[in-house]
Amino acid sequence: MAQDVNLNYKSTWCPGCGNFGIFNALKKAFGDAGLDLEQTVLVTGIGCAGKISQYLNTYRIETLHGRTLPVATGIKLTNHRLTVIAEGGDGDGMGIGMGHFIHTARRNLDIAYFIHNNQIYGLTKGQSSPTSDLGAVTKFTPAPLGNVERSINIVQTAIGAGATFVARAFTGDIQQLADIMVQAIRHPGFAVVDILQPCVSFNHLNTYPWYRQRITPVASLPGYDPADREKALSLASLWGEKIPLGVFFTEVRPTFADSLPQLAGPTLAAQPLDNISIAALMEEMA
Amino acid sequence: MAQNCYICQFGGEAGYGVMSAGVMVAKAAGRRGLWAFIANEYPSLIKGGLNTCLVRLSDQPLTAYEEQLDFLGVLSQESLEQNYTKLKPGAILLYDADTVKADLARIPAGVQVFPVKLVQSVSGDSAKVMANSAMIGAFCALTGFPVDMIAAVMRGEFTHPEVLARNLALLEEAYQKVSAGQSAAPQFPLPFSENDRPKMLLTGNDAISMGAVKAGCKFAAGYPMTPGSGILIYLADHAAEYGLVFKQSEDEIAAMNMLIGAGFAGVRAIGATSGGGFSLMVEALGFAGQAEVPVVMVEAQRGGPSTGLPTRTAQGDLNFVVFASQGEFPRLVIAPGDIDECFFETFRAFNLAEEFQLPCIILSDKYLADSATTTPFFDDKGLVIRRGKLVDEGWLAANQPYRRYRQTEDGVSWRAVPGQKGGRHIATSYTHGEDGFYSSGNHEYAGTEPEVTTAGLDKLFRKVPDILAAVPAIQLYGPEEADLTVVGWGSTKGAILEALTLAAAEGLTVSFLQVRYLSPFPAEAVEAVFKKARRTLLVEGNKTGQLGLMIRANTGYKVDHSYLKYDSRPFVPSAILARIKEVLS
Repeated sequence: MAQDVNLNYKSTWCPGCGNFGIFNALKKAFGDAGLDLEQTVLVTGIGCAGKISQYLNTYRIETLHGRTLPVATGIKLTNHRLTVIAEGGDGDGMGIGMGHFIHTARRNLDIAYFIHNNQIYGLTKGQSSPTSDLGAVTKFTPAPLGNVERSINIVQTAIGAGATFVARAFTGDIQQLADIMVQAIRHPGFAVVDILQPCVSFNHLNTYPWYRQRITPVASLPGYDPADREKALSLASLWGEKIPLGVFFTEVRPTFADSLPQLAGPTLAAQPLDNISIAALMEEMA
Repeated sequence: MAQNCYICQFGGEAGYGVMSAGVMVAKAAGRRGLWAFIANEYPSLIKGGLNTCLVRLSDQPLTAYEEQLDFLGVLSQESLEQNYTKLKPGAILLYDADTVKADLARIPAGVQVFPVKLVQSVSGDSAKVMANSAMIGAFCALTGFPVDMIAAVMRGEFTHPEVLARNLALLEEAYQKVSAGQSAAPQFPLPFSENDRPKMLLTGNDAISMGAVKAGCKFAAGYPMTPGSGILIYLADHAAEYGLVFKQSEDEIAAMNMLIGAGFAGVRAIGATSGGGFSLMVEALGFAGQAEVPVVMVEAQRGGPSTGLPTRTAQGDLNFVVFASQGEFPRLVIAPGDIDECFFETFRAFNLAEEFQLPCIILSDKYLADSATTTPFFDDKGLVIRRGKLVDEGWLAANQPYRRYRQTEDGVSWRAVPGQKGGRHIATSYTHGEDGFYSSGNHEYAGTEPEVTTAGLDKLFRKVPDILAAVPAIQLYGPEEADLTVVGWGSTKGAILEALTLAAAEGLTVSFLQVRYLSPFPAEAVEAVFKKARRTLLVEGNKTGQLGLMIRANTGYKVDHSYLKYDSRPFVPSAILARIKEVLS
């Protein structure tokens, strides 16, 4: 575990919340990946998931609901030497922030994005989310009908949009989650991890036992080849009796920052500001 | 009369190049000692419609637009239809003989009429695009404007040799053909000089962009929206040479949040948009205010509400920009009034945003953003970068434990950026204490939430007196003892100042109060002017007199008269003068 990663604030998550597993896995991943906490920025959204940044001693910015990825983009382009990790919930990322998700993926910025997916809005106390299963009964989708909208499959969407590392993990298995987090952090490009996380207070459908009955290592399934986009998409489409976990897809493609000659040398943040000559700009206008 | 002016207007469908015709005339004039002011009007479409480019020339510096034309050149029927009444007695009317029919009965007496084949003189598919060159050739022949100067400018404008050769040929051909029909070579009514220092021809958008580059802005983000996009295009164009990154965003929400990320990570960052895009940025504006992240945003107003008038001017967003966002936090709103202020106030905005750690909005409008003026080169030698309480690792080592939002006398805390040793912290959109921690719900903090909340907001607003002391919030022009004080903000400055000169020539004593910083509102300074003012006239490009309301709310003073214009077109000095005379009569 990285040195002095802990802060002394008490968390406000419910006892048994899946966020504790993610929190512990993230701390382990910081250590296992050998991150310098002063060169690392954690960018979080708003919701139960976003609170993770309140408890970890690195550079952090707690953004608006749904806006982690554009803030992370600004940070990464300003100082491309930093390790930038974005985290938020399924509502934050797949609801209000979906537009940013698609575009960040196609840009392939070197950012790791961990989605705490509990298939419910927890902090607002139990409304259906974009990843809620069909039929899920929530405060906004009452019985008898429950949720009638097809849910968003994060893994499939991420591969389709152009993310270059796409995985799914379960908060009930901290070792595997931390291991996937390390791979995502080390991946040079936009790395998405869909983290299945029970909400013990408001999601009475997708519980720890419910997940445990269904989760299967993706690598054990026929046709598994993380270098093959088509095969990865095919395995990503599985969601039901079997829910595959692991790394679905990896690809190395130039990142957005790689395409900019301005970022070949020092970071934007390191550039001197004094006495910039604009003589050429003035001449150009005469 | 205040000064000698010559006003020419070029009109035609979009795609005929009437805008570049105006630019070439203005640039040529600027190289021969004259001053120019260009105002463009265009609808929101790519081909067709009516584009006009009005070039006002003078032997003195110009800051405004007038509509009484000495010369009108038109390549389409519509551009003639709308302008018959603007022709002065003695004016020259040039039109394309094939596509335009002039109604002689509607042409004012004394106007000289010249139908010339302009569009058809060009062969092939580029006919329309190059008709402007034929039009300028005819313009030179009819007015005595030096055609060799136009050719010199063309050589700089067209990079493709074949395109340049064709345009030069058209210019020359039209010039020769029209000259041949003239009994004597005309003398251009303004004096040219050979050895004048060259001047720039700049729009407000250009000047703001140059101010940003000079200020060391290294990151820009935005989504295309007229009339703000010009700044983004300029910065994208110059990004590589100045080590700046421009990121086009998926929407304006993303743009503002990217800028916040950049500001948090330690660079100077700018965005540009118009009212609609700014609407989308409002939540993030509050985030910048709450988290105390410096960012600079340009809001170039157009007619509204909603999609409104995408390519026309207005001053309807003042209240919106000053009050945008839920909750309360200080922000800077600067309204530059001319090209110089666009440059220097943008430079200052970056300093202020960092010194006071808050969002700063530069409020311009389509007229200022898009109109071009000849301007002497900026004297940028005295400009100094000030980054306020941005700390280095040495400071951090000596000042542990570091707290990002530490309470200070002036309300500004020391700012560390990611990557520095010893500066780890949380920047947050939540209401927070000195350590950035959100108190609510935490056992250790819950008991002190009311105190933390109050102290946090008090800290933000302790910055205000120092901001007001640091900025040139108002400017008073004209005689100290005046019968009337005109009050305005933003792009009306040029037209108002010219109206003052015209008024003085008629023996009227009129002064002008320009409110350049609209937030935080300079209440004391404005109140002092109103205390002494005999009578006041509010000039604003909106329906409800928003500055007037702001003055009343902040000082208790009510303006005596107003001249409010919300017809989507800019103010002209002669109309302001007429209103001044009406008020004083």
